[in-house]
Amino acid sequence: MKPKFLIASLTSCSGCIGTIFALDILFDFLERIDLTYFPFLKDQTEVQDNDVALVEGCVSEESQIEILKEIRKHSKKVIALGTCAIFGGILSLSTEKQAYPISSYIEIDGFIPGCPPPSKLLGVSLIRLLENKDIELKNTNLCLNCPLRGEAEINFINPINNLMPEKTTTEEERTQCFLKNSILCLGPITREGCENKCIESGMPCEGCMGPISPNADFTSNIINFLSLIKLSKDLRKYDGIFFRFSRPKIKFKQVKA
Amino acid sequence: MKTTVAMCTRVEGHGDIKIFFQKNEISNINFEIEAVRGFENILLNNKLIDIPHIVSRICGLCYASQTIASCKAIENIFEIEPSNQSIQLRRLLMIGELINSHSLHFFFQAFPDLFVLLKEYKQPLSLEELIRYDPQMTGFMFELIKTGKELVNIFGGRYTHPITPIVGGMANAPSKKSIGVARKYLQKVIENTKWIIEKYQEFIANTTPPDEFNLENQIFLGIQNKGLYNNYSGMLRLKQNGEILADFSFNEYNHYIDRDRNLPGIYAHLNGEQRLLVGPLARYNVIDDYDISDLDPYLEIIDKPWQKNLLISNYLRLLEILLVSYEGLKILENSKLTNPIEIQPQTTLKNPEGIGVVEAPRGTLIHHYQANNKLVLEQVKLLVATEINIPTINDLLTKQGQKYYQETQDLDSVKRQAQMIIRTFDPCISCATH
Repeated sequence: MKPKFLIASLTSCSGCIGTIFALDILFDFLERIDLTYFPFLKDQTEVQDNDVALVEGCVSEESQIEILKEIRKHSKKVIALGTCAIFGGILSLSTEKQAYPISSYIEIDGFIPGCPPPSKLLGVSLIRLLENKDIELKNTNLCLNCPLRGEAEINFINPINNLMPEKTTTEEERTQCFLKNSILCLGPITREGCENKCIESGMPCEGCMGPISPNADFTSNIINFLSLIKLSKDLRKYDGIFFRFSRPKIKFKQVKA
Repeated sequence: MKTTVAMCTRVEGHGDIKIFFQKNEISNINFEIEAVRGFENILLNNKLIDIPHIVSRICGLCYASQTIASCKAIENIFEIEPSNQSIQLRRLLMIGELINSHSLHFFFQAFPDLFVLLKEYKQPLSLEELIRYDPQMTGFMFELIKTGKELVNIFGGRYTHPITPIVGGMANAPSKKSIGVARKYLQKVIENTKWIIEKYQEFIANTTPPDEFNLENQIFLGIQNKGLYNNYSGMLRLKQNGEILADFSFNEYNHYIDRDRNLPGIYAHLNGEQRLLVGPLARYNVIDDYDISDLDPYLEIIDKPWQKNLLISNYLRLLEILLVSYEGLKILENSKLTNPIEIQPQTTLKNPEGIGVVEAPRGTLIHHYQANNKLVLEQVKLLVATEINIPTINDLLTKQGQKYYQETQDLDSVKRQAQMIIRTFDPCISCATH
């Protein structure tokens, strides 16, 4: 019997699903599973029993809570796919809408972080799920294997006053840590596993993989870090950093059990 | 008023077909999208240089177009023009995006329906049937989808939400080695796409274009550059029944088209017909020539009966894959692509307003920003392809649904037909629910 999979999207850009189409293993993956629900590719609209449910996107609408509970009820494992499903994601920058992680409403059995999830991690995780194994994530920060990491330095003396380099550099020129060059990089507090894609493209880490500890609050983690470095006055007031992928969640309504 | 709703499947994102009845007749069928995220609000008060990477998250399929339209709007504010090298690298990134997006739509979303529309099957092919239908075609399609993503990875820095496009240029130049890899990819895309196009021509030979997909007096909107196909620069053009209604610069767009406050979608400011179509069929119509002679042998099939038929969009998507691949190969000949990139400095605000326009895979995409002296975004307007198409989609759905319901009284078939019409437009609901 092939394991049964469901792939569903809540409020999202479909980018996590889109990244599935970048995988070498896509064809084999589709051959080895029984895909019971995936409206992107299939006409079925009823949620059936599943071994694994992959859910991308955050909860931003009341109606999504019911769908989510329905998925939970029918699935042995529910996996939050991507930063929106895990932390709320980009919608956290909104001042009109609340973006809730799916774990605010249902219990989850694992998650694959990233905006989008890095392809290698995604591919390996899908195969593990297929074989009924848990997802394995690195519990180290991005700096540990950062190509720009020189000698370890914990005092960042330079004031941080930029979000990105003012001029582009070639790979050879790129030898120094962004933080040492006064550019904000969230590498020190961000989970490793993204293949350093941003750093290798000449851009600092924006923290999309989330904190290293699964129990850490995304935003307080960032605020703690920023309180340790010399952030310029201008950046200290900039919401775009604090709430890029998450916002502290305030529940207005208590649902009785 | 009685209504009935069906969920759209095999499209990107969550949308519904809503059928309204008056007495026992269908009064309207609408394609409705839910869960609007409010990106206009999300973007407000963010720093201009930070905006392109936030807007990328509007869409997991059109990320490159969104990011680049955003860069262009902000460059308009600073009055800077990226170097030719940066523009060429952006185009290569958009080429990868188009190959991925079009092939994904063609194979998984559009092709299964053609068995119903052209071959008298009772049901569209299921995913399992589709994969087994023609193993060689399946292999080639998977390869196309994947190759599009690989090109996005090379020129954008990762597979989705590109890192490299920044205000003033691109953050990273590719290595000589990756240019060689990209060339091989594009050559393979051309080879595979030619094979698929020939198969598709056999598939539609001796079929009749279904009437319900005919567009009458349709107004087309798209970018053209001196009459030629161009997804990055040129002017916008409105064209109807072969006549040019207007050619206008990107900055003048809101004299000709804009959002209607009371109705869903975007309309032309014209007397008479105001509904628009953007996307591959519109691009085919607004240009005088694709300007790639290798395409000529494949153009004959688009003869009279197919020319007005929306269903030809599927064929045009394949042609565009071929077209941009040739274009990409030409760009890759430029030996300066791997040089260190000059970035235009963003110093002071020259214009409070900036407009950035590109042709995304699904059609014209317009970003219109207003910034203040602190270089922070103060007002945003985003006009996306699917929103532009919505009035045309709804019109076609209603006309065809009413006709079909009168003839058959079969609501399930009306719903199924509506699904297939919607899919042919290749809507991007994520973009539309920005």
